[in-house]
Amino acid sequence: MALSLPRMQTTDLPGPAVTMDEAAFRHLYDRTARPLRAYLMRSCGDLALADDLLQEAYLRMLRSGFEGEDDDHRKNYLYRIATNLLRDHFRRKRPESDEVPERDESPGHDQAIHMRSDVGGAMAELAPRDRQMLWLAYVEGASHREIAKALGLRTASIRSMLFRARQRLVKQLQVRGLRPELEVS
Amino acid sequence: MTTNPCPHEEAVTAAARSGDWSPELKAHRDGCLTCAELTLVVAALATDAEELAAIEAPLPDPAPIWFKAQLASRERDFRRATRAIVWVQRAAVAVTLAVGLAFVPGLWNLVKGAFTSLDLSSPVADLPRAAGSPLLVIVVSMLVLGGLALWELTAAQEN
Repeated sequence: MALSLPRMQTTDLPGPAVTMDEAAFRHLYDRTARPLRAYLMRSCGDLALADDLLQEAYLRMLRSGFEGEDDDHRKNYLYRIATNLLRDHFRRKRPESDEVPERDESPGHDQAIHMRSDVGGAMAELAPRDRQMLWLAYVEGASHREIAKALGLRTASIRSMLFRARQRLVKQLQVRGLRPELEVS
Repeated sequence: MTTNPCPHEEAVTAAARSGDWSPELKAHRDGCLTCAELTLVVAALATDAEELAAIEAPLPDPAPIWFKAQLASRERDFRRATRAIVWVQRAAVAVTLAVGLAFVPGLWNLVKGAFTSLDLSSPVADLPRAAGSPLLVIVVSMLVLGGLALWELTAAQEN
């Protein structure tokens, strides 16, 4: 399923009331919270922070009054909010720069999550933006346009950036003994 | 073998995610390093996603999220409902200040005149004449009402 990310800036939400009822919210939460937390954990590397951002993402969605056409639409909106929250988080940590850091070495950085698997360890070596880009593209199946919107980049840049991020991940996977030949059946 | 972006990347990505490989695409992938690497990345991330989604730590309870959203929603509704009142209060303060400023010279003369004509030897008889001036009553009333409106406005903003 491709992401169809909305254009609204989540940092400047309008103020209509909550539109979905509690049952609908719980249904959406049950369906989307685990994969969204996985995305947040892999991006920030900290379970507690991922849980905080997860709650904030749902809260912002409810407060925005965003209705969406269906659960998929709402899920895509959540990923957009979550990506913005991650970007805000990384910017707060590095106020002197708008760019996300190359490596996340904050005290809350949870190596246990990154090192849970070889893939986690390999992802931990990448920049947060590379992790988000790879995750949105290959786990969530987002298009280049959607990734660009979510990450605040130009669509034209995504193809080459994604290619380079992928090469960096492959390099890290190879360091850990995972090679294309072994995976290709 | 190639190490540059490949035009088959989209098809390979879709096949790697679904596991539905056509013989031609599979043959291409086996001869293209870019697509072989892409397949590795997609498979690795899928495994990683499954592992992370299955993490045993319980998810945050959604009930407080819903509760907070409801509180925020009610607060917003309250602000929207009282917005007109707040604007009326602001207008009342502005009008009172404007009128008060316009009457300052006259009021001063009025107060001065009232007190100079006051016979201190018989204060009870003269007081109603000084305090009963219609203009003085209006101005004092407006000042009092303006003060109340200002106080209400300040209280509303603090809340």
